[in-house]
Amino acid sequence: MMTGDGTFALAALLLHALGFLTLAIVAPLRRLGRPAAFFSIACALGSLAAAVTAWQRHMGGAVSRLVWQWLPSQGQTLATVGVLADSDSTVMLSLVALVACLVQIYSLAYLSDEPAPSFGRYFTYQSLFAFSMMGLVLAPNLAQLFICWELVGVSSYLLIGFWYKKPEAARAAVKAFWITKAGDVGLLIGIVLLWRLTGTFDLTEMRVLVESGALPVAGLSIITFCLYLGAAGKSAQFPMHIWLPDAMEGPTPVSALIHAATMVTAGVYLLLRTEWLFALTPDVLLIVAWIGALTALMAAILACVQDDIKRVLAYSTVSQLGYMMTAIGAGFASAGFFHLLTHGLFKALLFLGAGAVIHAVHSNDLPHMGGLARKMPQTAIVFLIGTLSLAGIPLFGGFLSKEEILGAVWAGGLPGPFIILMIVAFLTAFYMFRVVFLAFFGHPPAHDHGHGSHTHPHDPPAAMALPLWVLALLSMAVGVYFTFTHPEPEFESPGWLTPAAVSAALAGIGLAWLTYERKIINAASLAAAFGPIRYAAIHRFWIDDVFEGIYNAVLLGFSKVVGWLDRYIVDGVLNVVSSWTLSSGDDLRTIQTGRVQDYVYGVAVGLLILLLWARWALA
Amino acid sequence: MGLQAYLTLAAIVFSIGLFGVVTRRNTISILLGVELMLNSVNINLVAFSRFSGDLSGMVFTVFTICITVVEAALGLAIVILLFRVRRTATADHLDLLKG
Amino acid sequence: MTGEVFGFWCISAVLVSSALAVVLTKNLFHAVLWLALALTGTAGVFLLLDAEFLAAVQLLLYAGGIVTVVVFAIVVTEKLVGERLSQTSRRIGGGAVASAALAWLIISSVMERPLATTRMPMDGDVTKAIGETVLTRFVLPFELLAVLMLAGLLSAVYFARPEE
Repeated sequence: MMTGDGTFALAALLLHALGFLTLAIVAPLRRLGRPAAFFSIACALGSLAAAVTAWQRHMGGAVSRLVWQWLPSQGQTLATVGVLADSDSTVMLSLVALVACLVQIYSLAYLSDEPAPSFGRYFTYQSLFAFSMMGLVLAPNLAQLFICWELVGVSSYLLIGFWYKKPEAARAAVKAFWITKAGDVGLLIGIVLLWRLTGTFDLTEMRVLVESGALPVAGLSIITFCLYLGAAGKSAQFPMHIWLPDAMEGPTPVSALIHAATMVTAGVYLLLRTEWLFALTPDVLLIVAWIGALTALMAAILACVQDDIKRVLAYSTVSQLGYMMTAIGAGFASAGFFHLLTHGLFKALLFLGAGAVIHAVHSNDLPHMGGLARKMPQTAIVFLIGTLSLAGIPLFGGFLSKEEILGAVWAGGLPGPFIILMIVAFLTAFYMFRVVFLAFFGHPPAHDHGHGSHTHPHDPPAAMALPLWVLALLSMAVGVYFTFTHPEPEFESPGWLTPAAVSAALAGIGLAWLTYERKIINAASLAAAFGPIRYAAIHRFWIDDVFEGIYNAVLLGFSKVVGWLDRYIVDGVLNVVSSWTLSSGDDLRTIQTGRVQDYVYGVAVGLLILLLWARWALA
Repeated sequence: MGLQAYLTLAAIVFSIGLFGVVTRRNTISILLGVELMLNSVNINLVAFSRFSGDLSGMVFTVFTICITVVEAALGLAIVILLFRVRRTATADHLDLLKG
Repeated sequence: MTGEVFGFWCISAVLVSSALAVVLTKNLFHAVLWLALALTGTAGVFLLLDAEFLAAVQLLLYAGGIVTVVVFAIVVTEKLVGERLSQTSRRIGGGAVASAALAWLIISSVMERPLATTRMPMDGDVTKAIGETVLTRFVLPFELLAVLMLAGLLSAVYFARPEE
């Protein structure tokens, strides 16, 4: 069935599929390394062009459906496969295409030290990821969405564990897969329950059903909560956030693509796609909002105590995802989505910038960095642009989206989360500028970190610099554009909202400046002032330990019980039966004495019994 | 004396012979017990034959006596042979079939 | 008390007591002798039942033939072993119970049924009648019996061959 023009969206999707399949099947090409990379990048560029074209055509609210029958069932179609292109999906598609393309170009230089076969392998995985993410974004029904959801998880596993020979990377990949899988169980249950309730997987049909009021609301809360579980797993909401910081073991471009802009936003995107469904269950939305706010706060606190630059950015991502979820929970999914788009741009920028720093300094740790602004001016500028966007300063990309979220939360009548988000805004500015001041300003560290001849950091090569500048310019352009052409939000914000938000951000920047640049406030005493919180934060609030404890106690304990049952009861019964058989056989053997007399005796006794029976039983 | 008396007599002799077969240690003693049992059977046959007037019972008895003679002779021959081979006549020692 | 009844009781006493003696004596040779007496008692029973021919056959074959053969066997085996074979009985309890119970069962079954108390008339020469019956009606078993005896003879000779 085909309405409208979905061919460009489809083309964007299929180009990445082409890239993946070619590289996967044609092993010689893949093993060559750089040619494989160029092929993949070419597909990515074509996909980007197609995605932007599709976006242009659907900007005004046009909807295209291009589907094929896929799973037949009793004469009807159970599920279709194809694309559903509307304004939301095409803009998300463009974001995915853009970041995927830029990350692939960046990786040309970042991973240039890799041997050719694994270089080719990397780009195969990148193409797979881009294809599956686009399939998820454009999914017209929940069945295709779920399959692409799982494919995205697989790609994430493959990419996090790209350097699979490193044990930490392998563990992190498995951890990510496990945690998101736990959420995916909820998603699957939710999808099946929803199908049972509505009789269809298709999103358009379901929306019609909901808007005409024909959908029974009873039991819908469980369904939406299950769907939310899947989103919470992928989008790293508390307590399923623990995989995201560990996922930083993967290459930095991977972190930029997957754990900043695209995969982790899949959860937010799912809730956006089904917001008309969630609107029917306000109690679940309340849970979404509160957990989102708490996640944002917790992650922001954790980010303040990290020394690894990528971990700071990872926790920052978790915190911003919490922001988006809170907005959705308040009932204004478009505000969350807006922030998703801007965040995708500047978080990818920040990660790629961090990657440039790591590439130059050969270390992730902040104490090993310092005074890089002089040595890497370009990187410093783009990183600063990204940081200002994240902090929510006017004229930069994140400002308007952040403000819109705050307004949405206020308009949704959630004062608690609102206050939390304000605090988080302050903390966000603080910890990001802590990174800026520690890494780019100040003095370089003493040369006794054993780096040898690598202590001459410089600006990144062209392949890495180009994506950085593109993202930086886009962040600024978005910020400027939306500042001057302010679109009408769906709600009224109070007048004091914008000044309050900006002052919170400026206060955070000020505190960081005073502590880390001017050193007026001693960092150590500042840390000591928040002693217990800091201590808990360094131990990551022991959430990992809780998970491990549950695993050991419940899963392993259960396994031990089952093992005991198997060994002693299942095997035990069999062994007892067999030994009984053997021993009774041994006992019965004694009847065969070999002496004829005994046999005659037996015959006589048998005859006796027969006669007795004949006399009394029959007579 | 009626038929019952002769049958009772035969039953008593039969059980005595059975006792002998089951209890005695020596193989030849066992054969003696068998002889007693066969004799009781003969008494039964003749008694029935006489009381019903049919001579077939007596004819049958002649046959059984002959067969018994053959069986006794061969049984004793086997006992002697066993003696030669295993140097024992005790039935308890002849337990090659022991399982 | 008629003669027949008196005779029955006497001969029964002899038969039963000698049968008991056969299975209870320790000495094997004595047991054989008691058996001879028991077989003679049986012959007496046959006489009581008007089966003179059978009584004669019994005495000839059993009391004469078998007892002789058994005595020879005892002598041979005693000689082989070189000592007097003593008789110790085992499993006496179980055997006694089993045989007693069997006897009682059979006797009680017999007693319940109304069986004939008077003999049917049997006129004429019983011996002649038996002979005729054997050679006309039962000639096939008669011949087979001859074959059996031949087989028995041959096997006895084979069994008794000297060791090589």
